[in-house]
Amino acid sequence: MNGTHAMLSHFPIGFWALATLMILVGSFMTGRLADISRAALLPVLVLSLLGALAAIAIGFIVWPMAANLASPLARNHILMAFWSLGIYSAITVLVWKAGDTAFDGARRWVLVILALTGSLMFASAGTLGGHLTGSTTAFSQVLSLMGWEVYTTFYSPLWVIAVMVLIGIALGVLGIMSQRRIG
Amino acid sequence: MGTRNKGVGPWLVLGLPIALGLAWITQGTGVIENDLERNIYIPEELTMPLQVQSAYNGEQIFFRYRWPAERPHVYHDMLRYEDGEWVRHGRSVPGPDPDGTYEDRVAMLVDDGGVPQFGRYGGYITVGDQMRFFTDSASPAEVAEHSHLGEQLGQSDVRKYLPATRSDQKDWRSVVDADVLATQREAGYFLDLWHWRAGRSNPINVSDDQWIGEYRNSDAGSGPYTTNWDDDSQQPVWMLDPEQTGQRSLRWEDVTSGDVDFDGFYYLSEDNRTDFDPDHDWQNGDVIPRRLLRQPVGSRGDIAVHGQARWEDGYWDVTLVRDMDTQAPLDDKAFREQGVYDIGIGVYRNATGSRWHYVSHPYTVGLGREADFQAMAFNGDSPDWSNDWFDMTLFYPGQVNWPLLISSAHAGAEDIAEGTPVRARHSEKQLALYGVEMEFNDAITSRWLMTLIAGLIAMLGVTLALLPTFRSTRQGDRS
Repeated sequence: MNGTHAMLSHFPIGFWALATLMILVGSFMTGRLADISRAALLPVLVLSLLGALAAIAIGFIVWPMAANLASPLARNHILMAFWSLGIYSAITVLVWKAGDTAFDGARRWVLVILALTGSLMFASAGTLGGHLTGSTTAFSQVLSLMGWEVYTTFYSPLWVIAVMVLIGIALGVLGIMSQRRIG
Repeated sequence: MGTRNKGVGPWLVLGLPIALGLAWITQGTGVIENDLERNIYIPEELTMPLQVQSAYNGEQIFFRYRWPAERPHVYHDMLRYEDGEWVRHGRSVPGPDPDGTYEDRVAMLVDDGGVPQFGRYGGYITVGDQMRFFTDSASPAEVAEHSHLGEQLGQSDVRKYLPATRSDQKDWRSVVDADVLATQREAGYFLDLWHWRAGRSNPINVSDDQWIGEYRNSDAGSGPYTTNWDDDSQQPVWMLDPEQTGQRSLRWEDVTSGDVDFDGFYYLSEDNRTDFDPDHDWQNGDVIPRRLLRQPVGSRGDIAVHGQARWEDGYWDVTLVRDMDTQAPLDDKAFREQGVYDIGIGVYRNATGSRWHYVSHPYTVGLGREADFQAMAFNGDSPDWSNDWFDMTLFYPGQVNWPLLISSAHAGAEDIAEGTPVRARHSEKQLALYGVEMEFNDAITSRWLMTLIAGLIAMLGVTLALLPTFRSTRQGDRS
């Protein structure tokens, strides 16, 4: 299953990289290429999610779950994969919701911020996958310079976890209330 | 609200990079901390360098070791006089001895191919179930009651052992029959252990000589130290001979100062002792070593210090020498011309003992045949060490044992089953970090899962907050 997971993983990573490029081009350029990027973004995002779901599902049967949960590298790979999926799911929902106005005004900045954040996540997930199969890359040294040694598990102290949850709940409630007011 | 969204709404997206950024800059904190009650102490440095050389002259083989140490620790197991009692300092404890009274050591495991897994996985294969000073170490009472370890060997803890000496890798109790153990040993299924101690062997220029089978056993004969303590009288048996040394004891302030006069009397041996004088006017702070050094006898005395092993300018420099063939095939691995041998080295420094050592990957040393490094052939009694040092990186191994490594909880268990060597998959730094995390595995796994879910909650919240901002605003679009 290791080889199958590696093969399938190229689809979300490729599509996410392409989607990020399309968001940057669609946000900061004009002309036909920018128009195509904006128009074709949603299908690319949908395909990326399908690919990610398949890759993650297969990924969970590469090793026994006990091994996944005991390995710092595997734990990190799983966390970054899920966070990548979460961020690009958010982008997909927003682009789908806005239709061809997704790049209007400040929205483009939203997409750019989300895409760049997501890029760090899927690049991390990818490089960790390489480590797990014995093929390390220099990108892990970049992550080390950014303060994260990839051979140690990515986890946060409880107060940070609480802050993250509070941010999520507060923003979620704010969004639901706004939706209701708008009707 | 719609107007407000146009101004502020999009920037709610910043909640996500703030949440994830906070997670990033604080990651890895809040779990790992020393807990001596659970036998957990994490060294400040997880790796250290070691330089090794080897040479042989056809009769003897020499190994030279050089490693950095902030200060030498040569005092070990001391008795300090305090208000009428002799108080013991320097027994084996989790982490460093608080008084610094625990000796530095270098230990080298040697194999000639009789234990093939050792060449691939080094000392990991000797770390079995419920070893002493692990958080889940076996109870001394249970070990003492074990028919072989307790009743036959007289032990009360689980120390290094080889996998095939147990019928169930997950159970230290499952020692195979005594006749099988004997047959394994005759077939060469044991590891030779060179064991130099800065306190309990070096002052008289010898090393201990042991072997690993179903336990960390000693070679035949007697070792380089015995115990200087009378249980009945609760006092030492011997003290320094004042006529010979000018003193009856050491002083606690000297023992703990960190300075050592290697040419002075910092130890008690057969050559400088006399009977303990209970009538002497002992003063608080007087110190008598709890170990008496003596010349080892038999196979256990095969290894000697060559020249003088000394700490100087921040480095220990230790050379050990032994007959290439000691004629003790049940205790030692013989070295021969054109032979290649597996070795693994452990170093103790900073007043630590037991499992708080730094260990190496397995390496090969060749006697005229290709290997990781070469033993230099020479004529004469003493090598000139003109050959290059072989540099190793040693690492703190944490609480990782062989039963774990071959279980479904280790992603590399299949690689081990296929015989892939550890050096092909893991660096020393990687193993040190893994070893530390394994000491907190449950807590880290739980915190990691919470972090993962918290991140997803933050993403969901941001998405919901942004949905009003991303309503389609053009006529005919969905909304």
